[in-house]
Amino acid sequence: MKHLAITAAVLALATPAFAEYPERAIEVTIPAPAGGGTDTSARKLATLLEEELGTSIAILNVAGGGGSVGVTQFMLQKPTGYSLLATWNSPITTVPQVQQTAYQPDSFTPIASTSETAYTLCVNPDFPADTGEAFLEELAANPGKYTYGNDGIGGTMQLAAERIFQSRGIEAVAIPFGGAGETLQNFLGGHVDIYGGSISPVLPYTETGEAKCLLVTSAAPVKALPQAAGLESLGLGDEETLLWRMVLGPAGMDADVVATLSAALEKTVNDPAYVEFLATKGEIPNVVTGAALTARVQGEYDALAKVAKALGLSQ
Amino acid sequence: MGLISEILGGVFAAGPIVAMIGASILGVFIGALPGLNPVMAIALLLPLTYSMEPLVALGMVAGIYNGSMYGGAIPAILLRIPGTPAAIATTFDGYPMAQKGEAARALKIACWSSAIGGVASAIALMTIGPILARATLYFGPAEYFWIAMFGMASIGVMVGSDAVKGLMAAALGLLLGTVGLDQLSGVARFTFGEVWLLSGLDLIVILVGLYALPPVISLAEASDIKGLSASDLKLEAVKVPWSEVRGLVPTWLRSSLIGIGVGILPGAGGNIAAFLSYNAAKSASDQPESFGTGNPQGVAAAECGNNSDNAASMIPALTLGIPGNVIAALVLGALLIHGLQPGPQLFHQNPGLVGGFMVQMLLTSLLILAVGGAAATRIFAQVQRLPGVLLVPMILVLMAVGVYVINGRVIDLWVMFAAGAAGYILEKINVPLAPIVLGLILGPMAEQSVRRALLISRGDPTELFTRPLSAVIALATLGLVLWPILKGLKARRRPQAQ
Amino acid sequence: MTERRQDILLGGVFAAVGSTAALMAADYPGASGIYPTALGCVVAGLGALVAIRAVLRGADGPRALVENAPRAALTLGLAALYLVLVPVLGFYLASALVVVVVPLCLGFRRPLYSLVSTGVFIGIVWLVFSVVLEKPLPAPVWLSY
Repeated sequence: MKHLAITAAVLALATPAFAEYPERAIEVTIPAPAGGGTDTSARKLATLLEEELGTSIAILNVAGGGGSVGVTQFMLQKPTGYSLLATWNSPITTVPQVQQTAYQPDSFTPIASTSETAYTLCVNPDFPADTGEAFLEELAANPGKYTYGNDGIGGTMQLAAERIFQSRGIEAVAIPFGGAGETLQNFLGGHVDIYGGSISPVLPYTETGEAKCLLVTSAAPVKALPQAAGLESLGLGDEETLLWRMVLGPAGMDADVVATLSAALEKTVNDPAYVEFLATKGEIPNVVTGAALTARVQGEYDALAKVAKALGLSQ
Repeated sequence: MGLISEILGGVFAAGPIVAMIGASILGVFIGALPGLNPVMAIALLLPLTYSMEPLVALGMVAGIYNGSMYGGAIPAILLRIPGTPAAIATTFDGYPMAQKGEAARALKIACWSSAIGGVASAIALMTIGPILARATLYFGPAEYFWIAMFGMASIGVMVGSDAVKGLMAAALGLLLGTVGLDQLSGVARFTFGEVWLLSGLDLIVILVGLYALPPVISLAEASDIKGLSASDLKLEAVKVPWSEVRGLVPTWLRSSLIGIGVGILPGAGGNIAAFLSYNAAKSASDQPESFGTGNPQGVAAAECGNNSDNAASMIPALTLGIPGNVIAALVLGALLIHGLQPGPQLFHQNPGLVGGFMVQMLLTSLLILAVGGAAATRIFAQVQRLPGVLLVPMILVLMAVGVYVINGRVIDLWVMFAAGAAGYILEKINVPLAPIVLGLILGPMAEQSVRRALLISRGDPTELFTRPLSAVIALATLGLVLWPILKGLKARRRPQAQ
Repeated sequence: MTERRQDILLGGVFAAVGSTAALMAADYPGASGIYPTALGCVVAGLGALVAIRAVLRGADGPRALVENAPRAALTLGLAALYLVLVPVLGFYLASALVVVVVPLCLGFRRPLYSLVSTGVFIGIVWLVFSVVLEKPLPAPVWLSY
């Protein structure tokens, strides 16, 4: 009897939740440490989203395992629309290749992608190459001579670089660091030859002339790095790998709630304040929702599976 | 001149001043409650300031950061529970002082030492920061390995009466530090198929269990149902005589330099600054055997050391755009959200803001004297007037909530409980706990740097010793290990000669 | 238990933990296995040393592990029970319960004092974590939907 009463009370509470979503605070899990690129992007977006949805948003950082710890913990949440995941692509499309994760790309309800940027490869000004093409030729001519810093073994950055290297038969020594900041420090100190990582940390050093960025991992060149070649111009357009961010929900979410959320995200991501904020980090907004987002995740997952396999990193 | 008035005008506006004072008080409380830590508080509160001017956000960061490093000393002294990992070294002499009825004196020394360390560090940030920042770039993986070894050498002061057991505890700490996903190969080590273990054992979770549960059990065993009366507490304002203050000056100088040196290296971390300072103070002392029994020098060294790394840890972040720890990363994140680009140009493009933050780091260090000395210390002392049996469950609840909110998972509570139960037994059979924590902090740094160095040198180990800078730090480590031994030999020889 | 027996047991436990770790780590590929294997051996070796030392010249005097065994066991047991109850009753109900029950079990007999201080304390925790910091804490099972 008591049990019935509780069930009825829960139903009474739960039913209008779908009618007037959202009616209480939303909890967003970020599978990365506070202060990093994914964290700042998500927190800034959350402040705008709070206004748009008229509810408060609590943020929980669960770092570790290249993102898999936070994502796995999130997977157990109920698909009520009050638990969301704000992540970058690596934990979803890269990590399952190199770790045995409990989730696959299709274990979530895709809501919307938010922004994207390329990775870049930079060298010091004395490096004997000044263009993307010459850079790859120099690497190909000296197998095993150059070291490049990256964001961690089996991370998207490493796979993005190896994807390019493999198609040109290049062998470079990967040195994994804890993140782009640490890579930058070791690059500036001359401990590694090549900086590999996101654009934003190294950008100021291209202006002071301490870094020469010769390649980006996107098909098109990046405006902020005029010297860096896009992959299209090198005939490697198919090998594009981006760093992009998205918001996901647990599998089995209500379609109306997903629609409310993706509409709200589309609006806030394209808010001039957010676009301007993204620009300071070298990122551009790119909202993809629904089936197109599912296809994007799956396509990247399949392409990186091949690279991971060739590198012997596959699980 | 225009710049200085711009900076001061920005800092002494109503918003930033309120932020600094409020955050300093808050910081002391956050530091004092085991489980709550400045990283979490700053991460939670920064977003609330995104719509305000940047100096409000930065003033808040400065206040919480500096306040919490002192706050950690309060329970370390009164209850032998370090509020933050950096306050472990404070328990070594702070708690024995409190047991001798000198709690007020210990708190006063901790307060002044924290403030002095913070001021010294802020001055370093303002003056020699940019030059030092460039120098840190010469530290590659090989050098970081030796810095970790340098830190491990301070285990000498923690092993206590039984060296074998101390080393065993340190080795256990290093082993616990390998749990999780190996950053260099992606291999999951000692995770037993559990996903939450991939990120390794959380330092705060282990620390809270190891250090807070044993005192709680002891409190329950003592079963005090009356509580201390005000006169028993002896917390009336004590005067620390001028002669004693003079004796602390060399310790303050030494600890400040150590804290600044450790703080400025990205990734080296402030938790070891207190250990290194404590170790240095003991080595330099005429009566090293009095350390650990309530020597005020020990409290001064630990507290000055853990505050003097604060502002210094901002140096690489503000001058190079490289965050040395999570708090620095949060500051850079906040700057980005306010539309500023961290990097070598940051100061030139925003002198008022960066300069203002430096001044705030200085002012909040001084604020410790006001809020820490008077208000906060007195409030916390009242806690001790509660009957011990009431404190037992309350501390337990605070431990649980603090640990739970770190990662939002119940399993962490059990990790804490297991660490605490083990810590209780280990301590009773003469196994010191501090080496376990030190191993947990330094182990990952040592392993990752040595393996990175070997990857870069293509497996040639001589690289670890022959880069000029790595050789220097290696020799310094050797010196640190040999110094107390040589001193001991000398002291033994002297009485024989007589 | 005598000091000697305690140390033999302690050394034995560390030797077992160390050698288990070393055996597990030996399977990890390449450089990721060498370091933990070596550490496991060091832990095991030092543990064995402690045990052997105790066998050879351990003191036979008793060394108390607890000052008051019933109270220590009671506290540990209640603490474990509390952790079990947190996900069931929710954080606040379980916490309020433990703050009232533990002093009672330890011989505190001033119910009014106990209830008032519990109320004030839980109120402060609620204010800090749920109101100011907006941190989600475990909810009672019957409310988690």
